[in-house]
Amino acid sequence: MQELLNAVTLGSVYLLFALGMSLTWGTIDILNFSHGAIFMFASFSAYLMLEHSALSLGLLILLGMIAGAALSFLVQFVVFEPILRRSKDKGSAEIQVLIGGIGTGMILLAIAQHKTRSNPFGLNGSSTESTTWHWGGAHITDVAVLTTVVAISLWLVVGWWLRRSRQGLALRAIGVDADVAALMGIDRRGLAMVTMAISGALAGLAGILFTFLQVAITPESGDTLLLKAFACIVLGGVGSMAGVAFGAFLLAGAETVLLTRTDGSWVDAISFGLIVLVLLIRPSGMFGRAEVRRT
Amino acid sequence: MIVYFQTHEVLVQGTCIALVLALSIQVPMRMGVFSFAGAGCYGISAYLSAILVLERGFSPFAAIATSVVTTAAVGLVLGVIIQRLTGLYLAMVTFAFDLIIGVLVINGGNRTGGSTGLFGVITNFTTWHMLVLAAAAVTCAAVSELGRAGRRVEAVREDPELASSMGINVSRYRLVAFTASGALGGLAGAMTVMIRTTIAPRDIGFNLIVLGLTIIVVGGTRSWKGAVLGAVIITWLPSALTSIGEWNTLVYGVMTVIASIFLPRGLYGLWLSGVRWWQRHRRAPAPAPALPDDAPDATSRLALASPGSPGAAAIELGEGVK
Repeated sequence: MQELLNAVTLGSVYLLFALGMSLTWGTIDILNFSHGAIFMFASFSAYLMLEHSALSLGLLILLGMIAGAALSFLVQFVVFEPILRRSKDKGSAEIQVLIGGIGTGMILLAIAQHKTRSNPFGLNGSSTESTTWHWGGAHITDVAVLTTVVAISLWLVVGWWLRRSRQGLALRAIGVDADVAALMGIDRRGLAMVTMAISGALAGLAGILFTFLQVAITPESGDTLLLKAFACIVLGGVGSMAGVAFGAFLLAGAETVLLTRTDGSWVDAISFGLIVLVLLIRPSGMFGRAEVRRT
Repeated sequence: MIVYFQTHEVLVQGTCIALVLALSIQVPMRMGVFSFAGAGCYGISAYLSAILVLERGFSPFAAIATSVVTTAAVGLVLGVIIQRLTGLYLAMVTFAFDLIIGVLVINGGNRTGGSTGLFGVITNFTTWHMLVLAAAAVTCAAVSELGRAGRRVEAVREDPELASSMGINVSRYRLVAFTASGALGGLAGAMTVMIRTTIAPRDIGFNLIVLGLTIIVVGGTRSWKGAVLGAVIITWLPSALTSIGEWNTLVYGVMTVIASIFLPRGLYGLWLSGVRWWQRHRRAPAPAPALPDDAPDATSRLALASPGSPGAAAIELGEGVK
């Protein structure tokens, strides 16, 4: 029972984090490698704010989301958009975006490492005290419940937005064929900025909640999470909303089981192994449609 | 000169290692294979050669040779398995491969020393030996950029379909890329252990991939000269600017971002465009414009006729547009 609760909570964090990545990758075709650093930096900004005043969890979440959205918007505006505008073909743009993302991530990581001297940092200066509910043999904190509820509802909202709204339709059109979408009068640049900002806000939210759940995180934890989210996305299929949730909870379940059975040093191998296996056996993922070549 | 060399020996060693590691990512990239498997092979080889010296009493050269052959084989096998993937997916699989190696060595028990790693690999391997080996690696990479082989490699990268219609066995070239990447990564890893005498899991993780990638992105992705340039800059910059101290990750990050936006072909690419601009500016109407060995239109050069024909004019035009 306790394992199940832990797995669901961990899966919710993965879902929140991977949702943002999947949103940009599946629609505007940007695999943002600084997503992990943005996640960490949002939490880090909240940590810096806490040095001045004890804020409540709600305010911290808001702050983290704003920080994440602003950073992500900036990355798109300063790095990715110029790369896309300058590159001649899609293949090289993809790789330049990957490299640009890694570079941006290094900058954010360097700042956080400098301030914290590479030590873990936490949000325990917050005015919100987390309460723990005991229930049978299991226990769960209110923050964990909040994380699960928020993750699942945001997942539903984003899925609904993509499927039902006009912007969602436009975004999916860009995902299928950016040139034709532009001919149909879709403002690709503007929409890309908005999507990146949403994705960053999701990363920021995940960062604050994850830091609360884990008590403290290291500046490097964003990089590990980035690869786990990548595993979730390819497992489910790029661009599939059902797929990303499936991937997140499956990975969290597998990791939790392994963590309770062994000493935990093999945990990271699951996600890395999954990436290799899925891409070799079924590159379109569990829920992906048959490969649509978008060139 | 000798004194200067001795005071900067550690930097020279660092440059050699970084250079060979960067080549292990650059060589496949020149053939259109975006693979980080070299970094994983670096890890395998570093541990393997350390174990060979510590447990079997191998001489450093025998250990290096064994490790390089092993990692070349690992590269080849990996290439056979993943060769149908392309672009980003290929990059991510090799990324995952590197990180799995990291998890494996942490869980290797006594043999790999867990998270402490292995130490005390003391041999008679010197910086001079290292320089010779690094020079040999660079020479091999340079030879693959010359003449027919070089043109074929460029064709395989720029347009695999055209290359295969011209009778080039594209998949064989890609397998060679994986094998070479494994061997180069292996050489870098084995040399590191022989010189530094220790190896630990933290030396072979995410940072290694970032280091190799930064070097070639900053230096240039298309030529061994770019890798040399990048390796020298990245290794020597922190000591040249001692005031930046712990900010060097930040400086690397800024450099990577700037290079990825403005210099997709690195500083060496910038230098080449500068030279070409200057030559054109002089308006020296050479009868048959010598094609720079780094021109992007390798395939058109392959496909089109000799200089002076309409083909050459088309290439000129193409460069003008750029």
